[in-house]
Amino acid sequence: MGLEHFAPTLFCGTNQKGIKIMARYSDLEYLKLSKWDKFLYKLGRFLIAIPLGIGHFFQKVGRGIVSGAAGFGRGLKDIGSTFKNGDGITKGSFVVMGLGNMARGQFLRGILFLLFEIIFIFYMVTTGGYWLSMLPSLGHQGPMEEYNPVLDTYSTVYHDNSFKILLYGVLTIFFIIAFIYTWRQNVKQAKITQEMTEKGIRLKNGKEDLRSLVDESFYKTLLALPLTGILIFTVLPIVFMILVAFTNYDGAHDGYFNSLFKWVGLENFNTMLSWSGGSKVYSATFGEVLTWTLIWAFFATFSNYFLGMFVAMMINKKGIRFKKGWRTILVMTIAIPQFISLLYVSKMFARNGIVNGFLLDMGWIKQSLPFWDDPTWARITVILINIWIGIPYLMLIVTGILMNIPADLYESAKIDGASGWKQFSKITLPYMLFITGPYLLTQFTGNMNNFNVIFLLTGGGPTNPAASGASGAVGFTDLLVTWLFKITTGAESKYYLASVVGILIFIVVAIISLVVYNILPSVKNEEDFQ
Amino acid sequence: MKKVLALVLAVCMVIGLAACGGGSTPANNTPANNSNNVAPASEIAGTYKVLVWCPAEAKALTTKQIEAFNKDNKLGIVIEATVNEMSESEAGTQVLNDVSAGPDLYFFAQDQLARLVQGAGIAKLGEAASKKVKDESDKAAVAAATTGDQIYAYPLTSDNGYFMYYDKSVIKEEDVDSLEKLIEACKAAGKRFSMETDTSAWYIASFFFATGCVSEWTADKDGVFTNVKDTFNSPEGLIAAKGLYKLQSAKDVHVSSSNVADFSANPASAIVVSGTWAYNDVKKILGDNMGATDLPSFNVDGKDYHMGSFNGCKLLGVKPQTDVKKGAALNQLAQYLTDYDHQVERFNELGWGPANLEAQKIDAVKNNAAQVAINAQNQYATVQGQIHGSWWDIAKVIGTDVGNSDGSDAGLQKALDNYKAAIDELFKIDYSGKIFVGAWNEWNNADEKFAMTKDGNNFTITLDVPQSDYMGGRIVTPGDWGTELGYAQVTTGKELMNPEMADPAKNGDNNIVFAAPGTYTVTTDGTSITIVKK
Amino acid sequence: MSKQENYDPSEIKRHMGMSAKNRISNTVIYIVLIIMSIVWLAPFVFIVLQSFRVESTWMVGYVVPKTWGLDNYINLAKTDFWHWYTNTFIMALATAVGQTVIVLCMSYTLSRFRFKMRNGLMRFMLILGMFPGMLSMIILYRLLKDLNMTQANAVPGLILVYIASSGMGYYVSKGFFDTVPKTLDEAARIDGATRAQVLWKIILPMAKPIVIYTILTAFMGPWGDFVVARYISMNTPAGMNVAVGLNSWLSADQIISRYTMFCAGGVIVAIPVTILFMCLQRYYVEGVTGGAVKG
Repeated sequence: MGLEHFAPTLFCGTNQKGIKIMARYSDLEYLKLSKWDKFLYKLGRFLIAIPLGIGHFFQKVGRGIVSGAAGFGRGLKDIGSTFKNGDGITKGSFVVMGLGNMARGQFLRGILFLLFEIIFIFYMVTTGGYWLSMLPSLGHQGPMEEYNPVLDTYSTVYHDNSFKILLYGVLTIFFIIAFIYTWRQNVKQAKITQEMTEKGIRLKNGKEDLRSLVDESFYKTLLALPLTGILIFTVLPIVFMILVAFTNYDGAHDGYFNSLFKWVGLENFNTMLSWSGGSKVYSATFGEVLTWTLIWAFFATFSNYFLGMFVAMMINKKGIRFKKGWRTILVMTIAIPQFISLLYVSKMFARNGIVNGFLLDMGWIKQSLPFWDDPTWARITVILINIWIGIPYLMLIVTGILMNIPADLYESAKIDGASGWKQFSKITLPYMLFITGPYLLTQFTGNMNNFNVIFLLTGGGPTNPAASGASGAVGFTDLLVTWLFKITTGAESKYYLASVVGILIFIVVAIISLVVYNILPSVKNEEDFQ
Repeated sequence: MKKVLALVLAVCMVIGLAACGGGSTPANNTPANNSNNVAPASEIAGTYKVLVWCPAEAKALTTKQIEAFNKDNKLGIVIEATVNEMSESEAGTQVLNDVSAGPDLYFFAQDQLARLVQGAGIAKLGEAASKKVKDESDKAAVAAATTGDQIYAYPLTSDNGYFMYYDKSVIKEEDVDSLEKLIEACKAAGKRFSMETDTSAWYIASFFFATGCVSEWTADKDGVFTNVKDTFNSPEGLIAAKGLYKLQSAKDVHVSSSNVADFSANPASAIVVSGTWAYNDVKKILGDNMGATDLPSFNVDGKDYHMGSFNGCKLLGVKPQTDVKKGAALNQLAQYLTDYDHQVERFNELGWGPANLEAQKIDAVKNNAAQVAINAQNQYATVQGQIHGSWWDIAKVIGTDVGNSDGSDAGLQKALDNYKAAIDELFKIDYSGKIFVGAWNEWNNADEKFAMTKDGNNFTITLDVPQSDYMGGRIVTPGDWGTELGYAQVTTGKELMNPEMADPAKNGDNNIVFAAPGTYTVTTDGTSITIVKK
Repeated sequence: MSKQENYDPSEIKRHMGMSAKNRISNTVIYIVLIIMSIVWLAPFVFIVLQSFRVESTWMVGYVVPKTWGLDNYINLAKTDFWHWYTNTFIMALATAVGQTVIVLCMSYTLSRFRFKMRNGLMRFMLILGMFPGMLSMIILYRLLKDLNMTQANAVPGLILVYIASSGMGYYVSKGFFDTVPKTLDEAARIDGATRAQVLWKIILPMAKPIVIYTILTAFMGPWGDFVVARYISMNTPAGMNVAVGLNSWLSADQIISRYTMFCAGGVIVAIPVTILFMCLQRYYVEGVTGGAVKG
């Protein structure tokens, strides 16, 4: 039960005194340790888990690549043997997709294969080929201006469009990959149908195929739509975004209206991280913004977590009345759109806003408090206001979890004479942490990208003088994601730098997730819950 | 069955998308008709759908004026206009998000001009139209509409500056000339002094212009900034920073805002530095207690410095058109909307101070309180011209930086050093080198990538020429736009160049244009050029 | 709401005694809760009060109007507000339906089926989720523009954007489905039901809380979306939602004349969302606790 659980010892160290860190204790050994030793041990495990987590990840990636390559090799071999051993029809399927299925009675499959091939060829000939051929150069001819002296008017003739070349070039590559995959399936099916026909096994007909889509292959039906959406509206933009980081796409090179953009290699990463030459202003700014982003995410997550838990327990306490009423009041902040509530709250805390006015009128302060003007004040204020927004979510979640804590745990604790605080620290808290571990992780990464709260409250301000050389007037409360937004919408619209920041955000989030994911106890086995 | 169905589904969607994109690949837009035989009137007659963006307050009037244009014009132009609201300060950003979907005609504040030009969101004015603008508008308006030596927009107003509104019930007439007295008066009355010096470089500059500092940016005709003369980081700048510190450090008085609603906030302001656009609102809030006058002076080391300001403009821009007829019709409309009559009408209905020299002379304009105040302030104002878009972000930091300093010379100087470092970062110029400016870097002589490598006394650069018809360039000194070395200085390799370039009439800029694609090495010792093809 | 009150039996005993200590702690809790309620509600009350102020249209330093009236609400009709409102309402409805279908498909599949690419797929989506979505906006705009779904046609375009990628947010409802015993499915399968019938006839009726939770969150999304909606509608009133429209009233040139109207608009926007939320709160709680904590 709970955090104390560790997997059986992987390898035991020698019997030396002191805390084993590289080795793992068994449950029994662990329980014998003193509190301080337990703490040290846990800390050690945590620190070890960081490189280990990253290591595991790359190990997995490596294994994936190796097995992928092996699979690819096997696939090639299989294609070869299929061709060698195949009859005329199977061989024909290599060129005319679906031939194997059609010739052996599976018309529906065959026609779909063929249709796909026709569509693919048609697409590649008509437009796909163009996009693909332009991808390396991203276009040759920018727009041209013409002057008509009679009308005394300038007009513009537009030519290549780098943006579309990149976008549809990527789509075409997606399509080609899909085609290769389908072609491979087609070859496989030709082989299988041939083998089955030779053995005299009856093949599924079209009707049965369709029926399987609502039965054993129902998942394919269910996933078709969601995955298509994700492919086009998430994967494609992300691939595009990553590629933009290697171009000079910005306001002055928008690829169509003013001038084409082109590939620039790793130059933008160098600008941002400045590993060779250049000033350090971007790397310094990145470091500062990243640090604050992590501080913010930490405080925003844990302040909400513990305060939310606290509030939930207060409301749930036996003897407190109007439970539903209190909850309803608090969840108002969830129900009301943030662009209304946060914008208003932001104005309330201005130097001449209602809050300062009230405090001055009361005579509690002599001069306005610099809620948004002073870096430290602003940072604390956003964290506090975030509590206002965030506690209700936690309160709801915690309320639900509290219902589920087995009552007998408390009973036995009671029999042992545990105090209220003991019950909380020994039962409630560990249980909560265990159950909500993954939730905390997603909250943490979610807060790192919490655009709304920062954007609506401070707009990133107050501005940071040390960062003024970097794009977008970076402020002391700017998160990486709001900085990214500022770069995009700033005076020079440096999309390429925004893309670099986007990639760096990904890397940071990925590292944190990997590390935490690997040391969280509750995500180890999802089947346990079923 | 397998994945086929899902794939087909996905593919159909992909194709749908790609085909749409494909359809518009080669831009087969109608080329402009250069025929000299057709009279303009009959050529541009027709009905045009036009999208207009103007600020909310001007929407009704603009719609009315466009309807009037349809009646008045003798050219047979019919404009079917859709007028949408968009504040002038954001129009540029929004237009550049997608020029093709953007408005054909839009009102914008001048600070966005260079960006719009560089982003190709605005069309050049023809020769006749340019001349008209130059002849009829005041100096600041012409400067606002010009980048390089090309006019790009029609001036709408010439009063986009700021001055001081104050509450007469709090501020005494005799105090309005001194910043120190005003701060004291506000403090004594428990009131606030609103000036947006934390977040807006536009207002911060007021202090620096007071001491004679300049930040003059030079943009070429493509909206690319080629040079900057910036003296904010100087002994005068330090004096300005001391003045700014007086306001910024008065934290119990100063509010960083230009919103005239501050007059009725709690704690309320007694002074708001804002512009003519707020005139009617201030009048509503303060009624008879409204005062409007030029900015005060601040005193440093016994010397008074009258606070400066920007003298800026609002402009009317026309989007580049592929259809030259529509472009011509739009220019007709834009000229109509910015002529004497309609600037006067706009002044009468909206209180927008005209840019038209004749319109500025009418009595109503001369006697308007806001115009009086802005005119008084304009004696101390700096014509805004073109300023690099990122300057606003860089310079706005000075306010908080100065406010958070300890006020000592060293502390203030640090703020200015920060500023200077950021400007240098933005505008990298190696003043010692030579740059090959040309089609490769969009003729941008601030582009250090095309800096020539220095080797002893020689400068060298290797260029890849993919096409010959327009790829060319010239050698300049960074920051200076004029050709230093060009075709005429080529001593070796003249045969590699387009022979047409020998004719000075066709090659006014003395450019080097290559005759054939290939890789060339260009070397110069500062007086002659050697070109070798690889 | 009675079940959770039993979680601590020791409390019951103590409660019966109603010790003085307990009474003090309860009083303290009441005081804390009352202060919290004031803090939580104050901004909303202020906004409502401002919306009834007619003596001025800009921000002022006091809260209670000097003259009360409905002018701000009446004036909304003279603007595009109701158009934006209709747009948002349509988007919210369509998103609620579309997103629920997609999320349920995705989460049910990942909870119940074990197929070859399952783990890879889940890991892939986890990784995709680590990219900031902000930059996608530019690409989505271009894609939608080629489909003629921007500017005046932004409503279908935005619906597509809200729905298309919603499959990524399957975690909560997958967590819920994971808690529904698999034996139910198996029993039905033995009776000859297809997988589709199992979902439709057995699982869905049991999944009412999570369905309502998904509908509710999906419905609330479009009301608050500002950044993407603004980009896609590109300043065309016909395609704007309330967030974009109302925000334009806070721009420097309009805030003086439209600030109280902004408050009135805000109140009207908040009403349906709040009522809906209050009515369905119970399901929301069951949804988040059933699913969210499990990931």
